[in-house]
Amino acid sequence: MTDLERYDQARAHIARVGFTPEIQSKIALLLSAAKSGNLMFHSQLQWMPNLGLAQQFIISQSAREMEALALLRSMVQWSPDPRLLTESIPIVAPLSTAWGQILMPPGPLFLPRAAYRGISLGHAQLARMRLSPIIPENADPLAPFVVALQRMEQEDGRMLQTQIRLLKNLGTDIPVSEREDFIEQDQELVSAVFEQFLIWLTAP
Amino acid sequence: MPTVRLAQHNVNYELVGDPDAPVITFINGLTQNAKLWKNYADYFVPRGYRVLAYDMLGQGRSSKPVIDIKMTAHADMLASLLDELDIKQTHLASISFGGIIALDFAIRFGPRLESLTLMSTFAELTPQLEFLGAVMLQGLTDVGLPYMQNMLYPMNMSSTWIAANRDRIPEMRRAGYIGNDGYAMQNLMESFVEFKPLTPDLHKITAPTLIMNGEFDFFTPRECHELIRSKIHNSRLLIIQHAYHAFTVELPAVTMRQLEVFLGQVSYGGWHGDQSVWVASDDPSAKTQWLPCAGDWTRAIQVAQPPQERAPVVRKPTPKKARP
Repeated sequence: MTDLERYDQARAHIARVGFTPEIQSKIALLLSAAKSGNLMFHSQLQWMPNLGLAQQFIISQSAREMEALALLRSMVQWSPDPRLLTESIPIVAPLSTAWGQILMPPGPLFLPRAAYRGISLGHAQLARMRLSPIIPENADPLAPFVVALQRMEQEDGRMLQTQIRLLKNLGTDIPVSEREDFIEQDQELVSAVFEQFLIWLTAP
Repeated sequence: MPTVRLAQHNVNYELVGDPDAPVITFINGLTQNAKLWKNYADYFVPRGYRVLAYDMLGQGRSSKPVIDIKMTAHADMLASLLDELDIKQTHLASISFGGIIALDFAIRFGPRLESLTLMSTFAELTPQLEFLGAVMLQGLTDVGLPYMQNMLYPMNMSSTWIAANRDRIPEMRRAGYIGNDGYAMQNLMESFVEFKPLTPDLHKITAPTLIMNGEFDFFTPRECHELIRSKIHNSRLLIIQHAYHAFTVELPAVTMRQLEVFLGQVSYGGWHGDQSVWVASDDPSAKTQWLPCAGDWTRAIQVAQPPQERAPVVRKPTPKKARP
């Protein structure tokens, strides 16, 4: 879990420099990596046999991640500096690697553990990547990027409910203790990525 | 703060004080974490106690299961934590949600208790509490964690406290948003689905038990505490003047003083668990801390006896004078 001090440092930095194109691009690079992984996963999972009612929820999750990515890409004032992309790669690498392992053929359609792990990782991302606490008090609440961040976070909360229901109720033979282990490992993975991201965000 | 691994879960705790001193263990309310007892540790350690605070499963830096936590798992985990820390017996102090865990612990692990303090809590869901809990859970799931946080301030604190802390509340709310995970809180609340009333087993609690209830606590009102008082023979009910639900936060000096008096009575003599009802002094420096409660403590108003009706005056008819 990320320390309050890290959030404070990030917020103080943004309060000082504002939501510059560099800051906005860094946030967008993190969210793009996370949400693209969750989108690809749900886009595959929707074809899993015998999902029943859950199929519609899974389709809805992928549609909402797509909306979030579209909102983000259209609202971000992108920096032209390619250094930001190269700097972001090692920070989001644990997420990209984890999603790669989950989606690696034969993938979640055929591997129940990969399916459960994907839901768990998506849950951890929606739960642990919280950006509203880094929005400074002096930020214009109607600035398009600030509005986009707030809306995405509210939507993440709603999507989280679906992930919770899937984690609790999706039929699986995996023992509860093993499922909880997946969930805890993914929370730790995402928290570590987010902590590195906050450090990067405040770097000059 | 150190962390121990108990079964498949990490448990975060803080233990301070002389290893030979008697231990007070604090159990958090729903949205609290172990750090919030720091001022209690600062108060009790110099007074010769050792203080243990920890994050329950789903709180702070302890593991946050998503799928399932049985209500009984919390008391089991506390017993394991005490084993791990080689604590044979403890005074146990708890608030709100933590109070249920403390009651469950006292029922099933009674010999491990030196005393039990229950603050702002309940042994079963009254219809009012059940509906309030459902609204809280609905707020958390349908609207989100910030909504539930906003809801809890007026339910937990007095207008006086809110007015005095109005400027600090946004920062406190932000810290709470960062420090709590909505899904973990939701899981804790959903564990109530299987919650069975503890009332039928309260008579098994034999440890000296102090039940503390805020005078104006409308979240867990007097009826919740009165029920506990009536079932635990070795208990006393202490009403905290002017207090609402979260008086450990709002009135820490008063709360610490009452706890100190109680622990002193239990440790050094003077405790009488006679199910009597008392009112706590609102001055922690006052010589007499527990004042007798006059009147009906289950009522919010004290109804005076109606004035005695005067017997109607019946005048004797005056005999008519005979006309001359």
